[in-house]
Amino acid sequence: MEKRYALFLEVLRRFQAAGLLKELVLIGSWCQHFYRSYFTGMRYTPTIRTRDMDFLVPVPFRIKNKVDVEELLRDEGFVVTFSGGAGYMKLMHPDLIVEFLVPEKGKGSDRPYPLPQLSMNAQPLRFLDYLLQNTIRIEAEGLKINVPHPAAFALHKLIISARRTKEEKLLKDRKEALAVLTALVRKGDESEIRKMFEKMPAGWRKRVIDVLTETANVEIMRILK
Amino acid sequence: MKVIKGVLEEELENSLRMKKEYEKAIKSLPQGALVKKEIRGHSYYYLMKREGLNVKFVYRGKLPKEEIKKYEEAKRFRAKYRNLLSQVKKQIAFLRKALRGKEIRSIS
Repeated sequence: MEKRYALFLEVLRRFQAAGLLKELVLIGSWCQHFYRSYFTGMRYTPTIRTRDMDFLVPVPFRIKNKVDVEELLRDEGFVVTFSGGAGYMKLMHPDLIVEFLVPEKGKGSDRPYPLPQLSMNAQPLRFLDYLLQNTIRIEAEGLKINVPHPAAFALHKLIISARRTKEEKLLKDRKEALAVLTALVRKGDESEIRKMFEKMPAGWRKRVIDVLTETANVEIMRILK
Repeated sequence: MKVIKGVLEEELENSLRMKKEYEKAIKSLPQGALVKKEIRGHSYYYLMKREGLNVKFVYRGKLPKEEIKKYEEAKRFRAKYRNLLSQVKKQIAFLRKALRGKEIRSIS
């Protein structure tokens, strides 16, 4: 088994044993790994996976017992780093980088959101509310894990791609989104795409349509109209 | 190719930060290793540490279990962090080489 993948599963197993997987949502490139279970029997290959293992934390965050995440992963060799001027905490290992994110509310702020329940902090980011509201629970590898609904994941990626300043990030987001949307169409889940699209505020829907127009993606546009 | 280049650049940035953190973590561990000597059925401890080119043994006598555990843990983590630091250094070298690569530069 690939070393990075083994570590990824180990982190999830420890989180599950600590009762964290009931609350947290795995997002980012690693959640696509679990979409393979959703798209069983179909052609779906997740795109490039980075080392970032991002967990979305519902706010307010309530767990029964406090979990010191740093201590939980320490013997695997994870070390805490503070990134950016704001000091967002990340747990780093040469094979994986664990980070926590929360939905940004109101005007927004660069300040890290404190998570004393995990002895960590989280980075607030826009549009994450939408992912939190549209999750599915997948059982695989002996784990029960929350991930965003693939349609919500893809539409969210299209929205944030429009906000990217780095072109390579924009391209990566769009590639990931379109790969998932294409797999959903193949699966016959067109109604799910439409349902998730309709849940979005009008402004967000317009952004999605703009991106699809820009990328000349006629098939998905046909589903959304 | 732009996507790959962007990912590699981000990974390099992360690896450089990680290198710094592992070096800091190694430095923060208590220095030296405990050596146990049994004399007439009693255990006595010496702290073995390097000072320049010399290895020094500092007598510590009988130690509480927690102190022994602290040094044992430090030894384990030092080995782990050194191993991971070496892995990170290899990653940095690889990423720098990949980013210097003709293909990535010419296509992007």
